[in-house]
Amino acid sequence: MNILVKICTLFVTHFWTFLAAFGMTVRVTVLSLIFATIIGIVVALIRLVGPKPLKAVGNVYISIIRGTPLMVQILFIYFGIPSALHVHLTLFAASVLTMSLNGGAYMAEIIRGGIEAVDKGQMEASRSLGLSYGQTMRLVILPQALRMMLPSIINQFIVTLKDTSLLSAIGLRELTQNTKIIVANNMEALTMYFICGVWYWVVIFILTRVSRLVEKRTQYGR
Amino acid sequence: MADKVINKENKKIVVEHLKKSFGHLEVLKDINCEIDEGEVVVVIGPSGSGKSTFLRCINRLEEITGGHVYVDGTDMADPKTDLNKVRRHIGMVFQHFNLFPHKTVKENVMMAPVELKIMTKEEAAATADRLLARVGMQDKTDAYPSQLSGGQKQRVAIARALAMNPDIMLFDEPTSALDPEMVGEVLEVMKTLASQGMTMVVVTHEMGFAREVGDRLLFMDEGYIIEEGDPVEVLAHPKEERTISFLSKVL
Repeated sequence: MNILVKICTLFVTHFWTFLAAFGMTVRVTVLSLIFATIIGIVVALIRLVGPKPLKAVGNVYISIIRGTPLMVQILFIYFGIPSALHVHLTLFAASVLTMSLNGGAYMAEIIRGGIEAVDKGQMEASRSLGLSYGQTMRLVILPQALRMMLPSIINQFIVTLKDTSLLSAIGLRELTQNTKIIVANNMEALTMYFICGVWYWVVIFILTRVSRLVEKRTQYGR
Repeated sequence: MADKVINKENKKIVVEHLKKSFGHLEVLKDINCEIDEGEVVVVIGPSGSGKSTFLRCINRLEEITGGHVYVDGTDMADPKTDLNKVRRHIGMVFQHFNLFPHKTVKENVMMAPVELKIMTKEEAAATADRLLARVGMQDKTDAYPSQLSGGQKQRVAIARALAMNPDIMLFDEPTSALDPEMVGEVLEVMKTLASQGMTMVVVTHEMGFAREVGDRLLFMDEGYIIEEGDPVEVLAHPKEERTISFLSKVL
């Protein structure tokens, strides 16, 4: 029973710093996901219908992001880029930039996969009616692709949310970094990391539930 | 749709030395034919003979490797041809229906005329109701394609193509993916369409339909039109050896 009381007490004591840190986690996650989605759409379209040189750039970008650890990307962008280019990147900007570039590559793959998963006959049927490629994309292909992508996109949201904990390595005070700071003071590693973990888990549990609801609502006439 | 008179001077489709290759595979080697307005041409042949590819070259769903396809005098092989414009007049019905699953039956029929600003929403809705009634689907206008049987899907697909008010209809094995008991309802709709003077090119295995509705039969094999003529005549007395051998297997 003692441990439960201790968890509750520490949770209440540190609730406000946790909430503030979680606010940071959410801000980085949401901003990164917005940029990642934009990057993803652009890169996916380039890889589908873009000119060859641009396609190659897209392929290299995805290959680099997928082929290197996120931690290395974080360190490279926060420490490497400013020292090489003599620009100042704030902690927050570097965090959002890294998570956007990282998420963007995965989103590009998800979006491309979704578009390619739509039956070829859909494009043909629409084009045979006299609709242009763009009209067909907008009215026929993307709505169907989006439905197929939705589970993967929400999964990517969850992955990005969890991955923001790696930003603690460069000192961004998000959920994990906040916990590390508290533990450094009170030495309650077990309890504090437990609270931190539960916090992530609850948020992701809710997201998963929402995603299931959304999936159900997009089953046309079934 | 008003009745059309078959006019021999008025060539609707002219195909000259049409060639089509997929990589090294030459599917169409030298296709020549002329199709009159209001004519119903039935294309038969063994699988892999190129009949579907031939059909898909008419509205250039397949890039044309060589030769010419004139539709109402417009060369479909010409890169400058505005395909989107020409395709509005050429309806196409596919073996696997290809209805838009995220739209209702009525929305499927309305989409193209509204998006291309040929009709207002109200006009398109009225047209959709009329066409869906014509194919016997008036009770399912708000259903989604997944709720329909194969035969119903294909009838909706025909209505969708007709919504653009085409003067040519291409049918690519329209009954091949249907359960046997549903073939009749689709053929019935096509028969009505033919009797109203629609120019039709039909790739099919339905010899009964060819005999009853077709004005002309083309037998294709290995990228050539091997034999053509009156369907009743060709089916009863084929002249070419390959036609005889094919018909002996399917009849």
